[in-house]
Amino acid sequence: MTVKLRFFARFRELLGTDLITNPNTGTTLLALVKEIAGTKKEGYDAIFDEHGMFREFVIVMRNGKRVELADAATVLVADGDEIAVFPPVAGG
Amino acid sequence: MIRIQTDDVDIGALITAAKTPETGAVVVFDGIVRNDGITEMELEAYEDVAVPELEKIAMAATEQFHLQHVDIVHRIGRLSVGENILIIVVSAGHRPDAYAGSRYIIEEIKKSVPVWKKELTKDGGRWVPGEHGHGSGHH
Repeated sequence: MTVKLRFFARFRELLGTDLITNPNTGTTLLALVKEIAGTKKEGYDAIFDEHGMFREFVIVMRNGKRVELADAATVLVADGDEIAVFPPVAGG
Repeated sequence: MIRIQTDDVDIGALITAAKTPETGAVVVFDGIVRNDGITEMELEAYEDVAVPELEKIAMAATEQFHLQHVDIVHRIGRLSVGENILIIVVSAGHRPDAYAGSRYIIEEIKKSVPVWKKELTKDGGRWVPGEHGHGSGHH
């Protein structure tokens, strides 16, 4: 299956964006982001804490809807999903 | 008009378009790049989410404050000191609603619309920290 991963702001600078991934069936949202972010230590450390969990300020969306961080370890990604990961918003 | 765009906008034209025969007040909010020792500001948005979120905020403000017209234009890209970042134009029958509606819209944008700002300086840049504990969408 194909899942698009989008990072924004500082996370984008560290990891890139609009990354097309091909996870296996049964891959969780947490596992997918960890795998992709894991290729660059600085980017991984910006998003995950020392226990390998999302840092509390990180915002994760699946298809434009926010996913609670506690659910990211159980929510499975599906073909065609767009996953977005970003720091707190600062517009206006 | 609810937009995220790189171009600036003609605020005078927005004010003219916001008026109806029943309008008693138009309030304009213009957020501007301030010189905090920076050279430029770079803005980015998650547009697929930010535009619907702006539309949601405009609808909520319209209903809550009896607004007659709402424009929100949030600019992205590289902006220099003095340039407009965010323009909000609202019209209402009376000034309390126009002021309160405008204030509501800017505060909600700060909380929930996925836009980020980077201050560019001679030595590099710095992402403006967002409001911790908030973020796009609702709990």
